[in-house]
Amino acid sequence: MTALAAGAECPPRRYAHTSVQLFRFSAVSWNAHRIHYDAAYAATEGFPDAVVQSTLHGEMLTRHALEWAGPGARLESVAWRNVATAVAGERLTWAATVSSVEGARVRLDARILKADGSECVTGTVEVTRAG
Amino acid sequence: MTAPAVSSPALEEVLARARELIGQWRDEDCGTPTVKDFCRYAAALNDGGYISRARALEADGRPVEAPALFLAATMSWEDGPPEDELRPDGLALRESPCTEGLPVRQVHGGQSVRLARPPVAGTRITATRAVVSARHKHGRSGEFVLLGVRTRFLSPDGDELTAVDETIVVLDATGGDR
Repeated sequence: MTALAAGAECPPRRYAHTSVQLFRFSAVSWNAHRIHYDAAYAATEGFPDAVVQSTLHGEMLTRHALEWAGPGARLESVAWRNVATAVAGERLTWAATVSSVEGARVRLDARILKADGSECVTGTVEVTRAG
Repeated sequence: MTAPAVSSPALEEVLARARELIGQWRDEDCGTPTVKDFCRYAAALNDGGYISRARALEADGRPVEAPALFLAATMSWEDGPPEDELRPDGLALRESPCTEGLPVRQVHGGQSVRLARPPVAGTRITATRAVVSARHKHGRSGEFVLLGVRTRFLSPDGDELTAVDETIVVLDATGGDR
């Protein structure tokens, strides 16, 4: 296992959610809120396109953290706050900093950033790395 | 310190309803998720690797654990309702607590998920859920109510699998600018 210390930066991950993915995630998570798959309806609430689900942001915070932590890593907890809305097709970046290391347990301060570098989601992810 | 006055009658009503509900826990049957349920969830996340591993474990007769946030991300475990019982924004009443008949809209503020034990395919899961807080706030987008909802997912032996605290932002739909 690579030695880690608080303050280490994780390599950023860049991605975008397609409108197809937003629809499929709404369907599989039984989320019928129209802002997530009906762009015309989302516009009536002031959004420029279908809105990324909060729980999909949570998934991305988690998935990139687990991928970074390596094979066999397990999620212990994740918490996040939605700071700004993201929509279908928007270019997003996952970024994280190691905030503490206790044995195999690593805590990350994680963020999802918009293309202009502003924060979309902020949170923490706690993972246990495989030995 | 005195809390700022609520200027929206709809938000005032949401607050009043929420305060009546706080601490009233309601049990829900989440059913018995299958490997297919887990794989369909993973497919929506483009996680083909999970699907391959899960199906291989299943073929070997070994336990298959759910994707880590499967329980937390699933918005409802109820059977329905049909479309004509949904709110105009597509939400069911259960997913939009304290808002029935009111001119409001809502977005998620965030979540905190604590994992104790992963759910395994073929195991019955129950949830217990309650509104735990209701606060009136002013932010960049104006006035809103922040509802706190806690859900605890339990195995048949009563052990906690996952605990979720979520915040729901309720805004006045008649004059909001968000």
